[in-house]
Amino acid sequence: MKQTGSIKALLVKHEMILLWVIAVEVILFQVLGQNFLTAGNVSNIFRHSAEIGLLALVMTPVILTGGIDLSVGSLMGLCAVVFGMLVKVYGLDPLVAAGLTVLVGALGGGLNAGLVAGMGLRPLIVTLGTFSLFRGLAEALTHGSKSYSGFSDGFLALGNSDILGVPAQIWIVLVVGIVIWFLVHHTTYGRSLRAIGYGEEGARYAGLPVKRNISITYVMAGAVAGLAAVILVSRLGEARANAGMGYELLAITAVVLGGVSIFGGAGNVSGAVLGWIALAILNNGLTRISDYEILGEKVSSVARELSGLLTGLLLIAALALAICMKMLAAKRSAKQT
Amino acid sequence: MKYSILSISFALLALVSCKKSEDSGKLSVGFLLKSKGNQYFVTCEKGAQAAAKDLDIDLRVDGPINADPAKQNEIVENWITDGVDVIVASCENKDSLSTALRKAKQAGIKVVTYDADAQADARLYFANQATAQGIGEKLIDSAAELTGAEGEFAIVTGTLTSANLNEWIEVIKARQAEKYPNMKLVGIRPCDDQKDKAQQEATNLLSANPNLKAIIAVCSPGVPGSAEAVKQAGKKGSVKVVGLGLPSENRAYVKEGVTQAVILWSPEDLGYLAVQAGVALAKGELAEKDAKTFTAGKLGELQVEGDSIILGKPIAFDAKNIDDYDF
Repeated sequence: MKQTGSIKALLVKHEMILLWVIAVEVILFQVLGQNFLTAGNVSNIFRHSAEIGLLALVMTPVILTGGIDLSVGSLMGLCAVVFGMLVKVYGLDPLVAAGLTVLVGALGGGLNAGLVAGMGLRPLIVTLGTFSLFRGLAEALTHGSKSYSGFSDGFLALGNSDILGVPAQIWIVLVVGIVIWFLVHHTTYGRSLRAIGYGEEGARYAGLPVKRNISITYVMAGAVAGLAAVILVSRLGEARANAGMGYELLAITAVVLGGVSIFGGAGNVSGAVLGWIALAILNNGLTRISDYEILGEKVSSVARELSGLLTGLLLIAALALAICMKMLAAKRSAKQT
Repeated sequence: MKYSILSISFALLALVSCKKSEDSGKLSVGFLLKSKGNQYFVTCEKGAQAAAKDLDIDLRVDGPINADPAKQNEIVENWITDGVDVIVASCENKDSLSTALRKAKQAGIKVVTYDADAQADARLYFANQATAQGIGEKLIDSAAELTGAEGEFAIVTGTLTSANLNEWIEVIKARQAEKYPNMKLVGIRPCDDQKDKAQQEATNLLSANPNLKAIIAVCSPGVPGSAEAVKQAGKKGSVKVVGLGLPSENRAYVKEGVTQAVILWSPEDLGYLAVQAGVALAKGELAEKDAKTFTAGKLGELQVEGDSIILGKPIAFDAKNIDDYDF
């Protein structure tokens, strides 16, 4: 009982660290950048990162089981193309097409699930394969060159308008977030994911439906990748095979930054959300800075090229800090007993 | 913990020390590149900076550094919330960037495109480097001249989705069918605007088509990439390389005799023209439509065809004159 209490305390502490990181980012960018804390820019931060947020949310259960899904970005590309075709070639209503696209995403996730849970292959290898497969399929369907555009204003509003002062797509992220949070933290299913992450064999001997529960995480990831694709198409007004390029790594970075163990078993949804927000602020904030000096050399362009460097530093610093705190806490409790 | 947070913030501060440029009351212009790493756009930017100096405006330059198709939209949307007066853009994805540019237009921002156009209703004018007809014909004509107008040729392009490159390729195909029936197009390969990918694609083309007589590269990284492939395959001179590119990137190959002709307008003048046009719109000196001519600072008076401001005719660089150009 005491054990779980202290682990929980550590996780809470990791989220505290992230809150500090976010606070520091906000202060830095407000001081150094231009127009950072304006309503328009804060809205942009979330609008531009909604898709990554969705992927980070569904990546969390996958990683909790000790798995990984490298294919979600590619699946977004495939789903974007499918959605574009359904609307522009087959003339379906965007809402119906969106539903079918989510279904296609779930099928893609189902393929991952079948190979990982059904055949017992390593998630890293399976999703590395489907990473190429889905993107390749999207490129083949469009001959690499065709794209779909000219969507109705009503559909474009999903990606470009506000509801109650908040970007429309953020409401969707919120709903998905609540569902995932509830699943992971308030159901036996969620507890089983962590148990599987700690030890798959153990979970199996304990009578947990390991295969089924792992499968669900990949199917969910696929379905939400389809949803993210629809949102991206609506924001850009164009459906192309290269949608979501590289998003899987950004989502994984957000989740790991959020304190979810890449080996599975530990972590929580609120951490992943904070990790996502910290990354989103970093990416936007850097574009607010122009005319800066780096290592004494003056650069008169925006600081976008620092985003990779700082994302890396942020990830390493936050995780190193978390581990230091953990070791400190362990030392302290060892002294006490 | 407080100390660690403090040290992180100091580390960040030490890395990036900058001063906020205060609001100067000058016109602010956003200059959007297709990609930041491409020498062609770096040269366009030089012209834009020169125009900014001539016109005394605030210029902010930005562009994506990776292949994420959403990045250009995000930059434009950020500029809209910043309230810039003018946006000058080269569009990587015509249709998707048009969504964002339309938003800018609705917000009262003057939008001008250059290099790669948006949809016509998303901008006021397009600073056109040269007509597709002029570029395509010049490329196929030089290839025909070098090969005696016969044999197989291949095209290395940027991406298969790039609207302006595809237009040029269409002109090349039409002209070849009409004027050079003994030439045969055997392949069109995309290089993703990267030199090493272009080299790889050109190498594949060379090994798949042993009778290849010429490679036409329609994107700037494609020319040195194809030249390197031809050189390494030991086919210098027997496979001709022509293309659209910067003299600086091709000088060595042209002098070695691997690349026979490089064709280009001046990207610096293009960037200069586009910024001049945007600022003239903001100041009300250029009518929002139906202008017949436009006087672009040091470039003088230029023709306007419909809603395109035409920069002029392309220049051909070869071993004789390539040293006269420093971009």
